[in-house]
Amino acid sequence: MTTHLVDEARAGEVTLNGVSRIYGKNYAVRDLDLHVNAGEFISLLGPSGCGKTTTLRMIGGFEYPDTGSISIATKHVEALPPHKRPVNTVFQAYALFPHLSVAQNVAYGLRYQKTPKNEVRERVSEALQMVRMGTFAERMPAQLSGGQQQRIALARALVNRPAVLLLDEPMSALDRKLREEMQIELKLLQQQLGTTFVFVTHDQEEAMTMSDRIAVMNSGRLEQIGPPAAVYDDPASAYVAGFIGQQNFFTGELAGGPGAWSVTVPGGTLVSTREPAGDPVAGAPADVAVRPEHVGISTTPSGGANEIRSTLMSVSQLGSALQIVTITPDGLKIMARSPRGIDVPTTPGADVYCRWTAESVHIFPTPTAPTESE
Amino acid sequence: MTSVATAPPAAAPPTPEPPRAKRRFTGSVGFLAVPIAVWLVFFFIVPFGLILWYSFGEKPSLYVTHSNDVLSLARYVEALDPAFLTTFWRTTQIAITGTALCVLIGFPMAYWMAVKLSPRARGLVVALVLVPYWTNFLVRTIGWQITLSPEGFLSDFLNGIGLLNGPLQVLYTQQAVQLGVVYNYLPLMILPLYVALERMDHKLLEASRDLGGNWWSSFWRVTIPLALPGILAGMLLVFVPLMGDYITPSVLGGASGSMVGQMVAGQFQRAQNWALGSAMAIVLMLAILLVVIAFGVLFRLIGIALRRFRHLGDLDTTGAIR
Repeated sequence: MTTHLVDEARAGEVTLNGVSRIYGKNYAVRDLDLHVNAGEFISLLGPSGCGKTTTLRMIGGFEYPDTGSISIATKHVEALPPHKRPVNTVFQAYALFPHLSVAQNVAYGLRYQKTPKNEVRERVSEALQMVRMGTFAERMPAQLSGGQQQRIALARALVNRPAVLLLDEPMSALDRKLREEMQIELKLLQQQLGTTFVFVTHDQEEAMTMSDRIAVMNSGRLEQIGPPAAVYDDPASAYVAGFIGQQNFFTGELAGGPGAWSVTVPGGTLVSTREPAGDPVAGAPADVAVRPEHVGISTTPSGGANEIRSTLMSVSQLGSALQIVTITPDGLKIMARSPRGIDVPTTPGADVYCRWTAESVHIFPTPTAPTESE
Repeated sequence: MTSVATAPPAAAPPTPEPPRAKRRFTGSVGFLAVPIAVWLVFFFIVPFGLILWYSFGEKPSLYVTHSNDVLSLARYVEALDPAFLTTFWRTTQIAITGTALCVLIGFPMAYWMAVKLSPRARGLVVALVLVPYWTNFLVRTIGWQITLSPEGFLSDFLNGIGLLNGPLQVLYTQQAVQLGVVYNYLPLMILPLYVALERMDHKLLEASRDLGGNWWSSFWRVTIPLALPGILAGMLLVFVPLMGDYITPSVLGGASGSMVGQMVAGQFQRAQNWALGSAMAIVLMLAILLVVIAFGVLFRLIGIALRRFRHLGDLDTTGAIR
């Protein structure tokens, strides 16, 4: 598949410029600019219908963009059919050929590359060993479990040595434990091969675990792109803040000015040392997000900002941490998470004070068209 | 079908691969097979036994249809006379050509229905395929007789647009029978093909194209192999009743387009010679069985050859991959 590329180092690069895909009157993908570096593991993350799968299918050649350009390895491919692109896909339901054995499935693409017979045998065997399925060559796909089928689908794609591997929610059919194992394995495999992986998922934990960068999509647009930690710690919008990890959301009115923004919410004032996203204007409505792990619980008030009085509702064990849910007099639930061993009040009904630092407060001026968080 | 001789259903379709996942029922459900067993005994095994028995007998006098007082193979010798063999050969030609034409017409049709049509439109088109099939066999064959007659509207129309000069001379020829049987048996080909193609996961074609195949090679490497059970089932469903058909040639064939089913019917009805008719029917059944087996073997061989000559065919037999 990989023809002799002029610039080997850029073989795995994918660039989308102003790409849109329209179904009827709706944009499935709108003005998408995305650059994937060679050898990168990038995840397209978002809820169903956000355009992530359409984006992947446009890179693979199964759909064509209505506007914009797509290049792979610095060459324009937006008008090429799938078989002329240096990419391979791992499909959501694997799409293994039911009439061919595992080995024949894996060898399927090599025939089109006119690979000599001996080399085919070697490469198929190599690919099967890579996914630890070496002894399954003679089986038929129907005789394999879901996890095994997925490995074969992976081998069938990787045996062609694509410049870019596209993965369309390949883990969605696996149970949780197997999925977690496969995540680690897939990441190790990607690092070992150095192939660019474009991975579509709606599971933010999965994206966090494996990706070098995460591209969060919403309604056909790219909301934010960055390394997992950056997307988690510094969400660019209330949408991203809500989609990745858990958040306590408050709404109120923005006050103050550069360097000292605050939001007055029912039950207290939230002060942030961070600059709000977008164009902050005093007096405008704003969403405030605070992560549960930044919320501390105390029985005594401090009287300062970033403190809200509430009633303890429940305490649950998360294994490595305790999750505490409280409710404010205004009916707002606040979730706190603290490592075990730290002394926190645990009596339901007790009056407590939820408190956090100004660094952990993220302010998002509410856009005119409000975004929904999950 | 209405034909006198139908092939034994024992000629099961030569499935290309053995079933993979066998499901076993834990409880005893054998009693559910009783009705079909009774049906088979009374409507297949007993009549078949009688026909077989009669075929060894004779027609003793003008007013008696059969007698088994003297047993011999003389009726078989009588049956295999040149007139019978000529008609038999024509029947085989019509049946093989008809089956091939049904595949050639039915496959694109079934592909269009299963792949191109929206799921909502599929039901309607399936109904449109079935409605003529549910219409009385004789009535729709007579419909063709009217259409093809030298004074019919098709003849007038072709003369009118200048494609033909003089009356249409198709009715009562082998070609008319050929046309009639393709029309009559086409639904039996389309339906199993449609089922096979409709069941196919369309992602497989995307996978094939993703791995480097163009439309045409994906069609040959994925669609055709997956449709093969449907193709074989359709061929069997068309070929077997077609061999025994006697309505279509009676209505459309005349003297030059007669088929062997008519000869069998003629012995039973006009000649009142059940012994000879039975022998002919047995010969016909044996021939159908042989042709079906021959084609089954042929397809098997083609399959093996294809696998051998396919670039990577021997991958699954070498065991080199360990």
